[in-house]
Amino acid sequence: MGVMLFRLLVLLAGSLPGAWLLYQWWWGDLGPVPAESVVHMTGRTGLVLLLATIAFSPAFRLTRWVGFMVARRQIGLWAFAWLLLHALAWMGLDQYWDWPWIRREMVDLPYVRFGLAGLLLLIPLALTSPAAVRHAMGARAWHWLHRLVYVAAGLGVMHFWVLTRADYLWPGVALAVLMALCVFRLVDAWRYRQ
Amino acid sequence: MGRYRYPAIAESEVTPRALFEQRRRFLAGSAALAAAALLPGALWPRRANAWPSLLESRLEDSLPSREMAGDEALTSRRDITTYNNFYEFGTRKSDPDVYAHRLVTDPWSVTIEGEVNKARSVALEDILRDMDLEERIYRLRCVEAWSMVIPWIGFPLRDLLALHEPTSDANYVVFESLYDPDNLRGQRRSIIDWPYREALRIDEAMHPLTLMAVGLYGEPMPNQNGAPIRLVVPWKYGFKSIKSVVKIRLVKERPTTSWTEQNPEEYGFYANVNPRVDHPRWTQARERRIGESGRRETLMFNGYGDEVADLYADMDLETHY
Repeated sequence: MGVMLFRLLVLLAGSLPGAWLLYQWWWGDLGPVPAESVVHMTGRTGLVLLLATIAFSPAFRLTRWVGFMVARRQIGLWAFAWLLLHALAWMGLDQYWDWPWIRREMVDLPYVRFGLAGLLLLIPLALTSPAAVRHAMGARAWHWLHRLVYVAAGLGVMHFWVLTRADYLWPGVALAVLMALCVFRLVDAWRYRQ
Repeated sequence: MGRYRYPAIAESEVTPRALFEQRRRFLAGSAALAAAALLPGALWPRRANAWPSLLESRLEDSLPSREMAGDEALTSRRDITTYNNFYEFGTRKSDPDVYAHRLVTDPWSVTIEGEVNKARSVALEDILRDMDLEERIYRLRCVEAWSMVIPWIGFPLRDLLALHEPTSDANYVVFESLYDPDNLRGQRRSIIDWPYREALRIDEAMHPLTLMAVGLYGEPMPNQNGAPIRLVVPWKYGFKSIKSVVKIRLVKERPTTSWTEQNPEEYGFYANVNPRVDHPRWTQARERRIGESGRRETLMFNGYGDEVADLYADMDLETHY
């Protein structure tokens, strides 16, 4: 597959959920609690894209195909955009930008704290994603900083797990995928050191 | 026994006239059926469409009498039927509406057994024939911190229990839902130890607010809301109000119930709506009223404290959550 084609696929993966969301919004298909539907949908999309971002490195290691490295920043920024939208949808559509309410929810609900902490960790990663910043930082510092993506994803999975009631199928899948990616990363680092 | 004047949220409200008159007409016409019911079982086989046509005839022209209950609006029929927790059909709120058409409700019978003098399996049409139906507009508060206002149609559970004469050892009432994994796709995964079971203390079960509902919005119960017959206990979290009931067993010892078994830290036996006792992972102090924006403050006993607080007078509700 051509690299440009792959980049186009990543573009579609990042943007088509948005088209679907707008379509449902337009036709009033978001159910009895539209705010909740938007919050859930943006969160799921963001988490899937975040795990996909992390998966791009091992995919490159295994296949040696450069497309994964070329498109990694692109999909990572899509993940960040969706998770930011998730938080904004929650604050705006669900909590009406009512800061006392938002603060109250943060105090009362542990999963809100996990989610927001994960999102905050992603902000420096998004800010240091332009090539110029990366060069200015130096590869070592940049790579060290960007390992935070594992912590952010861990907080994201924890957020998903804690808010779930009884049916742990999808949080379980997310946790298994993240753990597999962590194991791969550790084994890879260990082999590299040998 | 006079009709119990339940607190219809703000002011009380008697049965809609149309429903009341229907019942009068029905009672007159049912004498022949009652005579037929005396025939031996073999001559009176259970037939399909016996209860649906009977219920339809009694619900004619009985749309809810109003759109408001005090200053609280009724939740729309569309919201009530598309936002459901009915894990037998899947764990998403939209699943029951999508998959509940597979629920086979006709014919239907309920087994009433245990500590009663008259244990039997009774066809739903026979239950309907014996019971007076009335509309009750109740708040429903889910343990997940959302709520609705629903115009149920049903009869007090105590009327049904009284017919079967509970013994002095009947301390608790256990309910069981339908188990039919071929049609109830959610039962193919063991999220809960199926079939779903719930229970009440006998005084809770005999409380006049406790309803067996067979309809809502003037129509037979939609499948996704627990057709054909379900429990409604308005001062407890929604999971106590078990749907699609096939068995009612009166017992001496307190039984375990499905959610308590699933997670005893999070779901207690009593599950009374209580804004002061939080779920371990979220607050119960406020709730989202479906169809409204923002949040409402959750009321103690879901606003039915005047009627039911006495049942728990000597209990620590922090321990007995």
